[in-house]
Amino acid sequence: MIRRASPKLVAYANLSAVGLLTALVLGRPELVALAAPFLVALGAGLVLASPPRFSAELSADERVVEGDLIEARLAVAAATSVARLDVYLRVPEGLEAGGEQGTARAISLRRGETRDLDFELTARLWGAHALGPLYLRARDPLGLVSWEGMLARTPSVRVYPKEDTLRRIVHPRDTQVFSGSEVARRKGEGIEFADVRPWTSGDAVKRVNWRATARRGELWVNESHPERNTDVILFVDSFADARQAGAGTLDLAVRATAALADAYIHRRDRVGLVSFGGILRWLLPGMGTVQLYRIIDALLDTEVILSYYWTEIDVLPRRTLPPNALVVALSPLLDRRFVGALLDLRARGVDLAVVDISPLPFTTRPAGGLDAVAYDIWTLRRDALRHRLQQAGVAVAEWREDAPLQAVLEEVRSFRRYARAAHV
Amino acid sequence: MASLAAVALYAATAGGVLAIAGESIAAGGAVVLAAGIALRTPFVVPWSVALAGAGYVVARERHAVADGWAPLVGAALLLAAELAAWSIAHDRRIDEERAVVLRQAATVAAVVLGAAFVGFVLVGAAGISSSPGALPIVLGAAAAVAAVGLVGKLLRQ
Repeated sequence: MIRRASPKLVAYANLSAVGLLTALVLGRPELVALAAPFLVALGAGLVLASPPRFSAELSADERVVEGDLIEARLAVAAATSVARLDVYLRVPEGLEAGGEQGTARAISLRRGETRDLDFELTARLWGAHALGPLYLRARDPLGLVSWEGMLARTPSVRVYPKEDTLRRIVHPRDTQVFSGSEVARRKGEGIEFADVRPWTSGDAVKRVNWRATARRGELWVNESHPERNTDVILFVDSFADARQAGAGTLDLAVRATAALADAYIHRRDRVGLVSFGGILRWLLPGMGTVQLYRIIDALLDTEVILSYYWTEIDVLPRRTLPPNALVVALSPLLDRRFVGALLDLRARGVDLAVVDISPLPFTTRPAGGLDAVAYDIWTLRRDALRHRLQQAGVAVAEWREDAPLQAVLEEVRSFRRYARAAHV
Repeated sequence: MASLAAVALYAATAGGVLAIAGESIAAGGAVVLAAGIALRTPFVVPWSVALAGAGYVVARERHAVADGWAPLVGAALLLAAELAAWSIAHDRRIDEERAVVLRQAATVAAVVLGAAFVGFVLVGAAGISSSPGALPIVLGAAAAVAAVGLVGKLLRQ
């Protein structure tokens, strides 16, 4: 800890010295009586100002969901008496101090005393937030000397995004080989009825369709669709973020990604994550709750990092985009590199759906003049870009903050159904 | 501030033309202190205390006999300085425990009383050792230098 002299100490020392010297020069004993109190205060304060010895440890909830309360606790154990200990916990952006006491406290500790200070924080924004720094300042009884320090180790809080509950999701065009909840197009062992066909050697008796057999005079059996899992890649645009008043498109993208990951994982699908931006991050497809936590943990580290490097889809490892996977892209469609990557994916025949997270709520249209014209042109270009993607066969739906994600997914679903019908 | 105002009023009781001048200077100290507290500037506090003390000394200039109440004036100056420093350092955003406030108040009271006691002892000693000569002056100077030196040594620790 760094020892600091307070302004009071310097002032008292000067007043004492000046008073005593003036008393000597003028030969007035009253001046000694005036200076003596400051000298006494100075002497007493410095004698009592022994360096404090105490330990402090900050702990907090490790994982919470957006909107939850975080309980942070500072445990202080004093080996010596501390007349006054000022504690200030700096709250990082994304968390909010709650409670009446705030995060700045002043306490007094006796020798050997231990004390727990509770701080109430509210998780306002998803992300990995490092608490602190925690500043400590101990003072002597008269406040002449202070010892200042900072807690070296402070815990981190991982705030998970609040997920929407999705009742229906976008179904992939193709299924994989493992069993799951998606009814496959191909025929095989399953529950969903597909068709009837003549009996062949090896067919189980339980599959015989007796009604069709009676009608046709020979054995006919039922065919069914097997239930398979699917591969879904959540493709998050981290090139650009439209942000205003503490909220932005990246926040919505992360929330939507978490909700989609949760929905697909619960269907026993394999879900992977690609964060395509200034820094490329990916998570190979996997299934189960562990994968869900992996995805959410990876999402918490998602941030927009400015880069002028022209990143293309080729930089992605081959295994991150498995064959027949559905790629759900979440993007504000602000960066040409991401749009280029989407068109590239579509050109390669990837089953693609795009949730266009509208940046318009995070922008303000200028009042008039050329700026307003430029704004209008920009919005028209966005419409044209969406149209271009739809012409390429990509289901695109615009999502605004106030609309539920489910509604956007329904729009994507209906487009895909319509496109499929048109194709047939 | 009330403490400094009391010092100014007491200076006015000394009588004579210089008493009015002393009272004015001490009152000026009180005003400076008020401004310092209002503007939360701690470096103003010693100047205001020095002004009040100077006013008192000016008011006592024509008096040959040492003032027996000088220790109380000194204690009042210390009390004013302590309370002003406390007021300036107080931050509403910091949640202070009641024990902290009580402990600080008790410490200030103890120091002010102790300082007044020491002042009375010093003034008493000055009254007793009335024999003229070089020896008391040398002893006084040595005591003053020793006191300042002791404080300096404590500061370096």
